[in-house]
Amino acid sequence: MRRGSLIQLTAIALVAGAICTAVALAIPWLPVDAGKEAHRIHFVFWFTTIICIGVFSVVAAVLIYSVWKFRAGPDDDSDGPPVHGHTGIEIAWTAVPAVLVTAISIVSAIVLAQNGDAGSNPLIIKVTAQQFAWTFTYPDGTTQGSLTIPEGRHTKLDITSKDVIHSFWVPQLSQKQDAVPGQHNFLVITPTRTGTFPVICTELCGLGHSVMRSHVTIMTAAGFAAFQRSGGKAPAGPPGLAVFQQNGCGGCHTFKPAAATGNVGPDLDKLKQFAAQAGRGPLAAFIKESIVTPAAYVAPGFPEGMPHIYGSQIPAGKLDQLVQYLAAGSK
Amino acid sequence: MTSLEVTDHHAPPVPIGLRRLTAPGWLRVLWVTPLFFGIGLGLPVLVRWLAGWQPVWKGSVLVTIELVTTPIGFLAGIGGFDYWAHYASGRPTRPEDHSGHGARSWRDYFRVNTDHKVIGIQYLVTTIIFFCIGGLLAMLFRAELAQPGDQYFNPQTFNVLISNHAALMIFLFVIPAFAGLGNYVIPLMLGAADMAFPRLNALSFWLLPIAGTMLLVGMVVPGGGPSAGWTCYAPLCSHQPLGQVFFNMGVQWAGASSIMTALNFLVTIITMRAPGMTFWRMPLLVWANFTTSMLVVIATPFIAGSQFFVLFDRVLHTNFFEASGGGYVLGYQHIFWFYSHPAVYIMMLPGFGIISEVISVMSRKPIFGYRLMALSLMAILVLGFSVWAHHMFVAGMAGWLRVPMMVTSMVIAVPTGIKIFSWLATMWEGRIRFSTPMLFALGFLSMFVIGGLSGIYLASVPIDIHASDTYFIVAHIHYVLFGGSVFTIFCGIYYWFPKMTGRMYDERLGQLHFWLTFIGFNLTFFPMHYIGLQGMPRRVADYAGRFADINLFISIASFGLGASTLVFLYNMIRSWAHGPIAEGNPWRSMTLEWQVSSPPPVFNFDEIPQVVGSPYEYGVPGARHAIFGTPAPEPVAGAAD
Repeated sequence: MRRGSLIQLTAIALVAGAICTAVALAIPWLPVDAGKEAHRIHFVFWFTTIICIGVFSVVAAVLIYSVWKFRAGPDDDSDGPPVHGHTGIEIAWTAVPAVLVTAISIVSAIVLAQNGDAGSNPLIIKVTAQQFAWTFTYPDGTTQGSLTIPEGRHTKLDITSKDVIHSFWVPQLSQKQDAVPGQHNFLVITPTRTGTFPVICTELCGLGHSVMRSHVTIMTAAGFAAFQRSGGKAPAGPPGLAVFQQNGCGGCHTFKPAAATGNVGPDLDKLKQFAAQAGRGPLAAFIKESIVTPAAYVAPGFPEGMPHIYGSQIPAGKLDQLVQYLAAGSK
Repeated sequence: MTSLEVTDHHAPPVPIGLRRLTAPGWLRVLWVTPLFFGIGLGLPVLVRWLAGWQPVWKGSVLVTIELVTTPIGFLAGIGGFDYWAHYASGRPTRPEDHSGHGARSWRDYFRVNTDHKVIGIQYLVTTIIFFCIGGLLAMLFRAELAQPGDQYFNPQTFNVLISNHAALMIFLFVIPAFAGLGNYVIPLMLGAADMAFPRLNALSFWLLPIAGTMLLVGMVVPGGGPSAGWTCYAPLCSHQPLGQVFFNMGVQWAGASSIMTALNFLVTIITMRAPGMTFWRMPLLVWANFTTSMLVVIATPFIAGSQFFVLFDRVLHTNFFEASGGGYVLGYQHIFWFYSHPAVYIMMLPGFGIISEVISVMSRKPIFGYRLMALSLMAILVLGFSVWAHHMFVAGMAGWLRVPMMVTSMVIAVPTGIKIFSWLATMWEGRIRFSTPMLFALGFLSMFVIGGLSGIYLASVPIDIHASDTYFIVAHIHYVLFGGSVFTIFCGIYYWFPKMTGRMYDERLGQLHFWLTFIGFNLTFFPMHYIGLQGMPRRVADYAGRFADINLFISIASFGLGASTLVFLYNMIRSWAHGPIAEGNPWRSMTLEWQVSSPPPVFNFDEIPQVVGSPYEYGVPGARHAIFGTPAPEPVAGAAD
């Protein structure tokens, strides 16, 4: 290769690299990190990005240079030089990428090991996923529909599912873990920033998948202690409201008394109308049937999407509370 | 075994009277298909009625059985089994009159035809139809995603759209489109008269419309369509509406087609090479299909298994993946990805082959590092089976599997890198012609580099934990499967269009198509990297308001990308009918398919080629890939199969 072309090639590669670097820096690619694990993951991300920008710049330079310099004229029927290969170059472009991916692998493996380490005294919280709600159970037995954790302490989530596969993800914490029925998976998070962040289900889990959301509140250690002393109280209001919230009914249904705005299933504010339309007995009986055996009657215009698990999942007493609550609140 | 005259190929005898109903063809389809439908309906109902099982008419059972019997009825009607049924019945062998070989009119494309060139075109036209349908589905759900909240579709319909978009594109477009191109080109490149098993070849094509129809019908059956994503994870998919059964069975038929074709390719490549065509003289497209076929033959039975198991869980109440019944939920994913990761290479390696042909010819230079190119295909084949669990880094599988699977996934970047660098080196100091196939080859090269690099991010377990199941994944797979596979399919179609049709496509429209596709593609998919990393999960009909603007942008870009296909369709249809007559070898290529007329003779070669050198000796004075001289023997009756 001539010296001049090498200089030109290097210049193109530098320009390409500079453009890529500018794009990498100008756009906030990753969310703000709110945990130690996220911080480490971001490090791996940028480490990989530097290597990838290097590789991309070299490829782009050769490609652009070739398109620019080796274009054949319209009447040019000649062939190129019959070069069949070059053992040295071929060894080089086998070895160099191998070294680069090995480096990324090593960094990744170290971070993976660090991110799985929950220390000696983690706060263990049980996470139960179901269509289409999250339930968080604290060591003292209280349960909540959203997650509250302290800053600066390892929290170990013990994640499982009651029905299908879901996945727990907080973008700002970067950590993600599937919730699998019949199996307990663990995830370590160590928050470093207070605030409220979304909890997102990232595994397609049925009709309400896109509304299967909750949030995580990260408190200072003192704030969390106060929160625990208050016992993470059940929400005030009629007992049926607690049942409604624990079972995630609002994920799919609108119900004004509970401030629920889901729109996957029928609007529960109109339950009386639906009951009349269905003609399947008195309101309370209709509501109970619709929860326990949802397939018995499906409101026109809606898919048969209501999970069949609530009959066995909600204890009889709580079910009655829920039915009363819904019957009283509907028009 | 008697030899036949080849000077005249008989048109199929025109049957008269009742014979028309019993002769293979669409009339026979009209009565045999309902007959098999009736058998599939009557038998289970009768058994359930006799046994006293309620309900007698059980939808999921009937549909499962129907989706086996009705297609068999269709295949029997169209004539897919005639030769074998005749043979199995023990009657004397009918001399082969080659009446079902080659196309004399457009009607021959709607029959069971044993000519690999006819089958190749049948494949390509069928798959492009499904490509258009799959693309329309994508535009429908992009319309929904243009704004947050629910606009046009309820969540059920949305999930059906995303599931079938992916399933059609993967099982009915990318995989069979490569099978179609391979079908047309491989026997010609090898110097063979046809594939090793022409009748099996015909059958494998006719399974495709069945699979596609099944997926489409599944979308509109009462109860609802398949809505568990194309990955169809258990246990969600065992509890889906009836349409899911159509999905599970449709994948089986597409898979069976793909296995048959792969076996055919393997036997053809191993046994039907022209004299002198050693493995090290084979074009890289043949190498690519050789490795792909091995992937298909080994891996595809696993997806068949996975789909049967979820079907059994549903219909037979087995508990393969039901945790409550002692099943292993993640078992589905292990089996599924043991196919579906190699499937990524099934959808990539034939494209690598096409690119090698086009870049070498259009740069007028030998392919750089031919042997390493072939060996790197073999390396991808072997490594491809050792990386499946990188789809499951967050699934909760055995923890120790993560690091080894990360390392193998990283290592597979090495043979892939070798290919990219070798293509660049092939272009270096060449005499490059920027015709449409070359533009798509360069588009592929640049886009596949981006897809490959985002693959490095996803191979790294910690980054994957953040990015898994977000729009980053959607961006990555489209850079690999659209920027990779679809660009190479377009590249191949333009490159071999003159060979297949005997006419030239419109070069200006071809270039317009490339630029619209290239720009529309990047505007659609590049922003998805960003929204994914920022926190937008995939497969959601509704999303956070802060992603509204960028999703609107993506939706508009996707409509532009969809519209670019109209240019392609117009160019293909118009050029096929009215394009200028193409020369035998418009690209001045050395490979064998270009040494015969366009389109080639019915049995490909009037003279047997004697292969004497590499297929890529551009610029080498006096070099030849093959010499012609020996007249080809007459085709033999009852040969093959």
